[in-house]
Amino acid sequence: MRDELKKTGEIIQKLCKADDFTLIVSHNQDIHTRFAQNGITQHIDGKNLQIQLEVAFDNKTGSASVNQLDEDSLKNLVEKAEHIALLNKPDPEYVPSEKAHPLRDLIKPSAATLELQVEQLVDGIEKCIKNAQAKEARASGISERSIVKKYMLTKNGFEGYDENASFAHSMTIKKEGIETKVSGSVTDYAQFSMEQMIEQLNNQFDSLKEPQTMEKGKLAVIMRPQAVVQWLYYLIWTFQMREADEGTNPYTDQMGKQFFGENFSLRSVVSNPKISAPLFNNNGIPTKDITWIENGIIKNMQADRYYARQKEIEPASIFNIYIEGGNTSEEEMLQKAGRGVILNNLWYIRPIDMKKGEWTGLTRDGVLYFENGKIQHAVTNFRWNEILHDATKRILALGPMEQVEHNAFVPSMLIDNFNFVDVTTF
Amino acid sequence: MKFLDIAMEKARSLGADYADIRIQKTQTEIIYLRNMSLKNTSLHELYGYGIRVFKNGAWGFAHSNVFNEDAVVKTVERAYALATQSGRLKYGDGLKLATERAYIDTYRTPWCIDPFTVPLSEKVEMMLEVNKTLLGYEAIKRAMFMLECTKDEKLFASTLGSRLDLTNLYIEPAFTATAVTGDDSQSRSFRDGGVAAGWEYINNLNLIEKAEKVAEEAIMKVNADSLGAEERRTLVLDPIHMSLTMHESVGHPTELDRVLGWEADFAGISFATPEKLSNFQYGSKIVNFVADNTLPCGLATAGYDDDGVPNQKWYIVKDGILREYGTTRDTAPLLNLGMSRGCNRATYYFDFPINRIPNLYLEPGKVELSPNELIADCDDAIYIEGQGSFSIDQHRVNFQFGGDMFWEIKKGKKVRPLKKLIYKSNNPEFWNSVDAICDQRYFRTFGVTNCGKGQPGQRGRMTHGGATARFRNIRVGGSQ
Repeated sequence: MRDELKKTGEIIQKLCKADDFTLIVSHNQDIHTRFAQNGITQHIDGKNLQIQLEVAFDNKTGSASVNQLDEDSLKNLVEKAEHIALLNKPDPEYVPSEKAHPLRDLIKPSAATLELQVEQLVDGIEKCIKNAQAKEARASGISERSIVKKYMLTKNGFEGYDENASFAHSMTIKKEGIETKVSGSVTDYAQFSMEQMIEQLNNQFDSLKEPQTMEKGKLAVIMRPQAVVQWLYYLIWTFQMREADEGTNPYTDQMGKQFFGENFSLRSVVSNPKISAPLFNNNGIPTKDITWIENGIIKNMQADRYYARQKEIEPASIFNIYIEGGNTSEEEMLQKAGRGVILNNLWYIRPIDMKKGEWTGLTRDGVLYFENGKIQHAVTNFRWNEILHDATKRILALGPMEQVEHNAFVPSMLIDNFNFVDVTTF
Repeated sequence: MKFLDIAMEKARSLGADYADIRIQKTQTEIIYLRNMSLKNTSLHELYGYGIRVFKNGAWGFAHSNVFNEDAVVKTVERAYALATQSGRLKYGDGLKLATERAYIDTYRTPWCIDPFTVPLSEKVEMMLEVNKTLLGYEAIKRAMFMLECTKDEKLFASTLGSRLDLTNLYIEPAFTATAVTGDDSQSRSFRDGGVAAGWEYINNLNLIEKAEKVAEEAIMKVNADSLGAEERRTLVLDPIHMSLTMHESVGHPTELDRVLGWEADFAGISFATPEKLSNFQYGSKIVNFVADNTLPCGLATAGYDDDGVPNQKWYIVKDGILREYGTTRDTAPLLNLGMSRGCNRATYYFDFPINRIPNLYLEPGKVELSPNELIADCDDAIYIEGQGSFSIDQHRVNFQFGGDMFWEIKKGKKVRPLKKLIYKSNNPEFWNSVDAICDQRYFRTFGVTNCGKGQPGQRGRMTHGGATARFRNIRVGGSQ
């Protein structure tokens, strides 16, 4: 496949008359086995290809994509992209394509993931369904294997090839008013244990009997890693330097300052083999270890190539999530907080006020009330409206880091005074 | 096309109980302007085919972008093998497919001017002019304009004998002005959603006039007061705002796959369970929700769905009572429904069709009533225009919404703009609080083009609509 993708680059290079071009060829080979209510409802297999070409004549740009690799399609692709660029208006923020960069050595994806067959996915799901049936419950979820290959070439000399594979599994178990979910993904299927995941699911399920309704208000929360990572996706979305400078996000004039809590640090890493990291991003910028927030101080913000030039910094984007953990166990957090709730997951997070950094969302997949160092009972779900960066200032303790997704390592967090503004009916 | 026949013959020879093939080419033109910089001017094309095989009550689906006889045959074989694997863990006693007949037909979105034939320079110039207008106001620091045109060409064949040739097209312009003053920043947008129509739709919009209004209201909004603590108040909601609330709180809960728990792991389930059919007071007596996949310019008005079922019109909620769901051929039999309502749709050729919200709208009031007359009958209320923050639980009951522009109403008149306003409610409290709906003259639609659902995720499209309506006694306030 690498040679085939590279050959595409040679053809484009030969055909393209534009002053500049960036070519990205992506090839995905995925299997998705989806189940619900203890039976398979959807089963998909196939390969996807995307050949994307951006060209420029001076600072007039155009791009096109096709999903056919034959020479006629590639010729058509070049013609379309060039046609758009020639007809387009100049872009005052145009930046030429990236030049050659040394890249890290490609780490071949795990053989166990590459060789994973549909029969094995169904075997795994069968275990999940049998577990649910033993509890007279219903299981729903998805098992997925993904293999992604990417080739990138620019007129100015960048050339890169990357490959990764992952396995993901997610499942919800439901019986009457009790429902809970576990999910995760790994790069190496050999490191995945369905039994462990089922055990985690069962632990959550068994703890959720007879949920009681609690009053809304400010409460200490133990946010388990899955909930933490859900929250971070939204924080990352808005963590942009240009928007900060324009005054439309909360980070205006905060670079180098203590803006988050002192025990909150966020990094992207390439140096830990367990967390997946692409070799380069879609602009041809090689990835490297980067600290975004260190002990609450903003060290770097995301910036595209145009804006990085304006600011005379290196362009960068958050490509994986690595949150420094601590060594506080959940039992110790229960003692430390006195009373509060444990959250398994968050749901439907949306901004309320982008400038303030205020977000809303609900809890999902199980909430447990604790008091006097012990879990007392399950409670119904809450809505929260919270300023996320302010909440990091109320982190009282961090648990050990856990692999939540193949590209995310985060700890559980004990956060004081989390702002619950409503209670739900279930 | 010969590949349709090859695929169906191969599926029959393998012993499939049912099979279908969609050969689909989707072209999307996107132009994205941030301030005066063209961040994306692109044309994307996806071309391939997806084949579904149904065997012993279970599905398999395989797709390919290789167009030759060998590849088509192998794709059918792969879909059959997947169906066999699915059969190891059947849903219940195995799925059944609702009765349907064969159709040989052609459908094409009615359009006058194909947007793909309009010169790029004309589109870009129009967008630059809008952004220039927005940025002409000193307090507007960011202007964003996104224009998307999509043409979807589909050939469908099934082992029932159907042969369909479907071409659907839609167009969506949207722009936003962001005002920054002091320590705040607020945005206001022009968004009517996607419309299944040609470029003539754009020609009739008068975007410069709309840009001036958007910029002025963004500035008005950033300088406006916030509302204090949450109180129960009267809400007046415009049709564009309500399109989002009905999407989230009526459209999704009445997708039968969600009712059956098929989305439990990802997007959640529904409170609107089958025992509530024909007896549950979903809304007040004047609330009628019509599902209408024949709606002119509707984004789900596609001729047929991806089960090969023709477009239909029916009531989801009639006189306030929950009456029916949106169904597919494999979900309808689970409620002993004879026929599917034709709500099975996939986004691209490589997507498995899933139960989608139809075009769904709130029927206008039967008595003559204008928005001004409706507002005149409010002593103390809030008027919300456009769409803002939205979040609903995974059972589709408890929700919180924002908006794009807010006005305080006192003694029957809009007295001042407001900002940062949210309201909280739940199904069915919200729809049961409706006490007035304006008439047909004020009916407007909003085409949703980015409805996320499914695993792997797909982007669905459908149109909503209504006329301005009034809701009594809803919890409204600033965020606390």
